[in-house]
Amino acid sequence: MAEKFNSTKEYVASEELMSAVNVAIALQKPLLIKGEPGTGKTMLAEAVSKSLGKDLIIWNIKSTTKAQDGLYMYDTIQRLYDGQFGEEGVDDIGHYIKLGKLGEAFTHDEQVVLLIDEIDKADLEFPNDLLWELDQMEFYIHETKETITAKHRPVVIITSNAEKELPDAFLRRCIFHYIDFPDEELMREIVRVHYPDVEEHLLKNAMDVFYDIRSMKDIRKKPSTSELIDWINALMIGGISADRLRQELPFVGVIVKKDEDLETVRSNVH
Amino acid sequence: MFTKFFYTCKNKGLNITLKEWLSLIEALDKGLCTSSLTQFYYVSRMILVKSETDYDKFDRAFEETFKGIRSENEVTKAMLRWLDKSEMLDMVSEQDRYRMNEQDGLFHDLDKDDIESKFKQRLRDQDSEHNGGSFWIGSMGKTYFGNMGGNAGGIRVGGSTGYQTAFQVIGAKKYADFRDDRIIDNRQFQMALRKLRQFSSKLDIPKTELDINGTIDKTCNNGGCLQIVMEKPRKNAVKLLLLMDSGGTMIPYSTLLNELFQSVHRSNHYKDVKTYYFHNCIYSHLYKTPECENGEWIETEWMFRNLDSDYKVIIVGDAAMAPEELYSDTGNYRGPNNGLSGYEWLLLMKKHYKKIVWMNPKMAPGHAPWREAETAVKEMFPMYKLTVRGLNQAMSTLMVNK
Repeated sequence: MAEKFNSTKEYVASEELMSAVNVAIALQKPLLIKGEPGTGKTMLAEAVSKSLGKDLIIWNIKSTTKAQDGLYMYDTIQRLYDGQFGEEGVDDIGHYIKLGKLGEAFTHDEQVVLLIDEIDKADLEFPNDLLWELDQMEFYIHETKETITAKHRPVVIITSNAEKELPDAFLRRCIFHYIDFPDEELMREIVRVHYPDVEEHLLKNAMDVFYDIRSMKDIRKKPSTSELIDWINALMIGGISADRLRQELPFVGVIVKKDEDLETVRSNVH
Repeated sequence: MFTKFFYTCKNKGLNITLKEWLSLIEALDKGLCTSSLTQFYYVSRMILVKSETDYDKFDRAFEETFKGIRSENEVTKAMLRWLDKSEMLDMVSEQDRYRMNEQDGLFHDLDKDDIESKFKQRLRDQDSEHNGGSFWIGSMGKTYFGNMGGNAGGIRVGGSTGYQTAFQVIGAKKYADFRDDRIIDNRQFQMALRKLRQFSSKLDIPKTELDINGTIDKTCNNGGCLQIVMEKPRKNAVKLLLLMDSGGTMIPYSTLLNELFQSVHRSNHYKDVKTYYFHNCIYSHLYKTPECENGEWIETEWMFRNLDSDYKVIIVGDAAMAPEELYSDTGNYRGPNNGLSGYEWLLLMKKHYKKIVWMNPKMAPGHAPWREAETAVKEMFPMYKLTVRGLNQAMSTLMVNK
């Protein structure tokens, strides 16, 4: 392998995750990343693109996104209007074909990292509609009778929040990695990456409270890594002393977002 | 060379295809696993396993193939239950347990292999619960195995830790939480629910589609100069009301109901979805949460007023009410009846909503006399068994125009 993915200054990846990325690159298969919200799934793609020195193209999936949107769009209406007045270039359909994110990644002059973010947000059939394109790395534009083939096979990273189950045929083609919730040691490292000069005492107390809250059985939405990072930032800016942290739970709204959970936390943390 | 591994995985219930297997061989060929077993473990897992729920199965297949450990030392569920004595932890003081160990002089000279082999032997032989003893696997004893014991070092089996000194925690697999051996795939439910479609363009959404007929008309009227007309896309107008029984007899089906509930909520193509709960039968109130706490409810009449008759209703329940629960006007033993029997409330439902189906997870064929209530409900609403097939049939019934 010519290039290998490593942890960057901003992103701490576990050994497993790093090898998952490298295997996916070597086998030229899409990498499917699953995990709790806020475990840094989306940030992984940024880190990969930075570490490999490649451009990043992000395709954000929404509930209304169709597979076709990622390939190309044919702006028929513009062409009709232009045709009315005999504007230049109307006879060239290619003029009105606009490539989507996937098309962009295929036609890029260098190899890119393509992030298909939150694929489970889309319609159930969405992943199936992309099978051929992701396998063969090409698609056909009917209007211009042209086949777009990837100049350089992009590194494809797909994230999923497990809101919907993905079809088997799609899963078979992917390399799968589940991002585990980081243990305290890794978490400490992650926080340090973001705030190198956080006071040790404050960090320890904040993390204790954080893991306490996560371990409560009746909590409805467990706080995530990104929320802990925000909270520590808030505590540092607010100049909260570490000793007051457990009694007063300052800015606890940053990590606990639901009313019911706030009550649970207040009555349980002492 | 690894073919045995392939079949072990299959035997453990992992659904691996040849294509994935070939990918693994390719990865090996390219030297991606270097030569370490750990790396091989990661690489084979990321290629072969596609859901964290299967990690546990994979772990066991891997262990069986590459460590020669047979499944004989699998800790059975029954044993973990004997050992679940967490409430007793407070009853014994640390000192007592310490003293107990001191006397026997077992505190020193741990031989890991010896303990393991003894442990395996006990696993094979033990057939009942033992606590506080000194031979079998049990809680608070002084053997090397079990939990909450006074023994320092040894194998903890389930439960909580006593001295936190066990060298091996069996039955505490890292990914065990994720395991699910549920057969029905949520996806199949979702596909069935997709049948509930009724397209309409009368919704309040932006005009994003080209109206071809309108465009031709306007363009002609415009003397041939193009004038484009857009219209609203046709959207699903189906509104769904889901009423779920969360009474005691439904507890065995909670996973199944959970699947159905999640499928309904993941199908984002409905115009509206409302879910309420009831206990055994529908009376004057419907609960907002599955716990069915009094107070956390809406009035059934409020529902009639606010959710119009176009809502398609799916009632999920086992219809196993006692006759008085259905026919007596004081039959609701958890809340008010408001002067009507359960049967009359159900009739009101039928009167108000045009389309109702009843999904029953344990529906039996025929009309057995001891299932009087089920028979009565069956006569009132079309009833289907809560399976993928039953759901498909029910969805067709909901869509048919009378």
